[in-house]
Amino acid sequence: MITQALIIWLLPLLAFTIQIFVGKRLPRKGDWVSVSAIGISFMLSIMLMIQMFMAYDPEFAVTAAMPWIETGNFAIPLGIRLDNLAIIMLMVVTTVSFLVHVYSMGYMAGDQYYNRFFAYLSLFSFSMLGLVLWDNLFGIYMMWELVGICSYLLIGFYFTKDSAANAGKKAFITNRIGDFGFLIGLLIVFTTIGSFNFSAIHEGVSSGLLSGGLLTAAGVLLFAGAVGKSAQFPLHVWLPDAMEGPTPVSALIHAATMVAAGVYLMARLSFMLSFDAMLVVAYIGGFTAIFAATIAITQNDIKRVLAYSTVSQLGYMIMALGVGSYMAGFFHLVTHAMFKAGLFLGSGSVIHAMHHSMHKLHLHEDPNDLRLMGGFKSKMPVTYATFLIFTLALSGIPFFSGFLSKDAILGGTLAFAMSQHNPIHFLLPVFGFTAAMITAFYMFRLVIRTFYGKPVRPEIYEHIHESPKQMTVPLMVLAALSIFIVYTLPSFNPTGAAGGWFDHLIQHPHSAVSAQLGHDVLHIDHETEHLAHISGIIISILVAGLGILLAFFIYYWKKADHTRIAQSIRPLYLLSFNKYYFDEIYQATFVRGLLAWNDLLNWFDAKIIDGIVNLSATVTRVFSAVSGLFDLHIVDGLVNGLANVTSLFGNGLRKIQTGQVQNYILGALLGTVLIIIISLI
Amino acid sequence: MNNLESLQFFIPELFLTAGLLVTIIVELLLKKEQKVFTAYLAATVLLITIFFLIRQYAIEPAALFGGMVVIDPMAVFFKILTAVSTLIIVFFSIPSFRVKAEYYVLLLATTLGMMLMAQVNDLLMIILAMELVGLVSYVLAGYRRSDPKSGEASLKYILFGAASTGIMAFGFSYIYGLTGQTNLFEIQQALQSTQHNPVILFVAFVLIIAGLGYKIAMVPFHFWLPDVYEGAPTPVTAFFSVGPKAAGMAVLIRFIISIVAGVSADGQTFTANAPIHAQELLAVLAVLTMTLGNLSALQQKNIKRMMAYSSIAHAGYMLMALAVFTSQSVEAVMFYLVVYMFMNFGAFWVIHRMTPHLGSEEITAYTGLGYRAPLVAVAMGVFMFSLTGLPPLAGFIGKFYLFAAVIKAEWYILAVLGVLNSVVSLYYYAYVTKVMFLNRGDDESAVSISSYDTALLLVFLIPTLVLGVYWVPVISWATQSLHFFLG
Repeated sequence: MITQALIIWLLPLLAFTIQIFVGKRLPRKGDWVSVSAIGISFMLSIMLMIQMFMAYDPEFAVTAAMPWIETGNFAIPLGIRLDNLAIIMLMVVTTVSFLVHVYSMGYMAGDQYYNRFFAYLSLFSFSMLGLVLWDNLFGIYMMWELVGICSYLLIGFYFTKDSAANAGKKAFITNRIGDFGFLIGLLIVFTTIGSFNFSAIHEGVSSGLLSGGLLTAAGVLLFAGAVGKSAQFPLHVWLPDAMEGPTPVSALIHAATMVAAGVYLMARLSFMLSFDAMLVVAYIGGFTAIFAATIAITQNDIKRVLAYSTVSQLGYMIMALGVGSYMAGFFHLVTHAMFKAGLFLGSGSVIHAMHHSMHKLHLHEDPNDLRLMGGFKSKMPVTYATFLIFTLALSGIPFFSGFLSKDAILGGTLAFAMSQHNPIHFLLPVFGFTAAMITAFYMFRLVIRTFYGKPVRPEIYEHIHESPKQMTVPLMVLAALSIFIVYTLPSFNPTGAAGGWFDHLIQHPHSAVSAQLGHDVLHIDHETEHLAHISGIIISILVAGLGILLAFFIYYWKKADHTRIAQSIRPLYLLSFNKYYFDEIYQATFVRGLLAWNDLLNWFDAKIIDGIVNLSATVTRVFSAVSGLFDLHIVDGLVNGLANVTSLFGNGLRKIQTGQVQNYILGALLGTVLIIIISLI
Repeated sequence: MNNLESLQFFIPELFLTAGLLVTIIVELLLKKEQKVFTAYLAATVLLITIFFLIRQYAIEPAALFGGMVVIDPMAVFFKILTAVSTLIIVFFSIPSFRVKAEYYVLLLATTLGMMLMAQVNDLLMIILAMELVGLVSYVLAGYRRSDPKSGEASLKYILFGAASTGIMAFGFSYIYGLTGQTNLFEIQQALQSTQHNPVILFVAFVLIIAGLGYKIAMVPFHFWLPDVYEGAPTPVTAFFSVGPKAAGMAVLIRFIISIVAGVSADGQTFTANAPIHAQELLAVLAVLTMTLGNLSALQQKNIKRMMAYSSIAHAGYMLMALAVFTSQSVEAVMFYLVVYMFMNFGAFWVIHRMTPHLGSEEITAYTGLGYRAPLVAVAMGVFMFSLTGLPPLAGFIGKFYLFAAVIKAEWYILAVLGVLNSVVSLYYYAYVTKVMFLNRGDDESAVSISSYDTALLLVFLIPTLVLGVYWVPVISWATQSLHFFLG
């Protein structure tokens, strides 16, 4: 199994190496190299998955390690851990990545940097798979940074466009803030426990090596990394801008896999979260879920709506991990990866069609703009049908995968609130259910304005065509993976994942914090859980239905004019439309502040540091000149006299050495004698 | 062990000698255009020798030929290292020495000498082995007979070498006079059992260090090096910069663990034989060596000369680690030699293959090379930065281990001086990279290189990159080899 995992991991790296060096010269610009590498990885992942099913054991895990860095007491082994969590995650990553590779062959066809695009995709796949496979935080941190770099490169893929280049930088810098926290958390763990390895950390926390406030701090700081990567409030600002990258990239990196890395990390580390740390995680997640959802309502760019929706859904997952619903959080990661990748690829299909139509008409408008679409249902039947399935899944409608996972999360938050004595924690389920309603609303707003009704611009509509096979087949595959049955087998119950394979295989790891404290960090009894689950189902179906109805009411039946509504609550509308002015606030405070600080440092650098550097350079120069002169004048002068040397070498200054071997030997002898004399004095 | 019994542990050396003789005879039978065949024959001989050497790890440490040489894992390590470096040099030399077949015979002879240096255990044997390497090296340095610079280099090398050997032999005579022994372990026992005059011992020590210092280019016994490196044909220069230096290090280590200090069986603790401040002396010489190497390299305009001073500086770094006398430091030096082999050969390979294209060995001739031959220039940049010791390249890991050993032994000032030296070296290494990439020259025509050149370039480039991120096999090889025969 380990060999298989290594092949899965390293094949994309091989593809990257081939692509970046010789990709341009290969037939078809080498896209087949990347596609077949990830294709083989995908098939091997299926084989791992089958092996996992054969074992069908929640505790299933295979590990292997080899030494990497070893100096005295400091050792970091290279280790891989294959457990159910890792295998399912491998499956998600390779599936989406493979489909996106295939899709990109159609979407990116004819691009100037076609081979470079595939090279980056391969590098990303390698980094992401590594992140999943490593059994220690150090390795994860390395891969964490690598996926960050790939994300930067791919967001700025159209680097000639200023907005794309800036979005890349913004993503990278915003992530650095979170990663700094991650690094400090990592160092706290290492200094107290002495290892990066997950099982060693588990033991260390259980035995109390890391406890109390420091444990909470480590948990929160490690979570800071996840806040950056999974675009949680207040570091969410980069993800919507990241939509400047090519749409397949948005699907792969900024919807399905990389942004889920934060959730994956928290799932891996959930055993070491103290109660306080869990509260921080839950509230940040819950707030992000509702906050981002309210922004998504008013956006007009089809990809931006989806981006805010992603932020919001990631908030759900994080919230689930915060309230201790481990399975639910990871489950939503998996289901969301499928339908959200599908939504992005579907939107890509629409944008592709819009782009070609506008190209024909020589229009220079935004192909992403919702307001120019409408009625595409008949022109793009496959895109429409699959898009609808994804939307139903995301809205949490029964019989689709999203319902199962979202319901599990909402049930989890309810159970958490009910088991706590503090009524304020009911805020979390309130956040969750409200966000669920808003989600259903904005998603149907999107579907109705894109696919239903009369075409807003008939001339564009005329030239809309269904996308090629490379693009529609991945959509169909993802649509199939958004049906509830995929996750509930062997049970056929559409209302819950209980009894299904996923529920069986992914179980909450034993909390090391509980072991350390001697009692459960979080105790939720069975009855509360059951009650919460039942009420969760009912409420979530109600709110989702309400959201959809509202959307149809406003946008399909046009019972109310949406511009009038917006007018009547103008301040709120503007707040949402301008994303709560977060970019402006950050610009005014952090960016400005940083620039001022920068100016100060610049002054310091120019006046003081440079002075010191110049001084030391002068000193070095003088010193080396002196040592040169010493050799030249004293040593040589002793023997032959300066004149002799200069006559032998016209440019004597350049030569430190006289070139005369008798001088050399004399030098060596004198040196020996000097050493002896100096040492003996 | 008597001579006859010893022969079974001497298979690699015997095979190499036989291979050398066969190569001479075969060379006589070949027509001029076939002479390149000797290179391949020499490479095969070396490969098989290496194969025999690897098998020697299984042998229990023992003294051979009545105590003249020893066989232990450390000897095997250095024998393999020198044989591998010669093997690489054979391929390095093929483009320039296609018809001069006896050149390869000389390389094999030097290898035999270096392998003997790796396992010496007797004062006489030290001189014999070092002279074998030395005499052949003089011929190699002067191999380009038509070039007066090459002849000059050879002559300087001979004279300086002869003087150094003389100094060293003088030192040996003191030791012999004090103890009446030539075998290193007998000497050690004699030194440990009776008190000797520390002044005379110290003088003897300095004299011997002078002789060994000449081989590894320690200040102030380095004078020959820049001229010889510049004058000798580039493949020979590359050869000198690694193999003989490693062999010299091996002798120095032997010398330290027997005459200067005693070492415990596990190689962990060193105890001085006599109160003669040998460590302090080595530390001072190490600092002088790297400082002079680096400061002089700063001023060089000729890239081969710059590399010559750079190799002095690197000898200084290794000496710095050796001065602290711990098993870690010996291990670090062994590791560094492996790393140094790849990055230094790489840099010399680029210089060697680019000189005909650029028409000069001046650093300014490399201006704009990044646009003319991107792969070569990138590789050169990697070698330069690796020599500086920047992560994530092999040179960084090598230096890391050197400095770690020094810091672990709590010689902080020495470590700081070493780091400062590394900083200085960044200037001249980075300068080469700068002219290649940031400046554009007048000539912008692409430089095409053959696939042979590229292949050998990758042989140097890939380890330099890979050992920067995954070096455990090499360090554990060094650790396993850290096992001495202790009499």
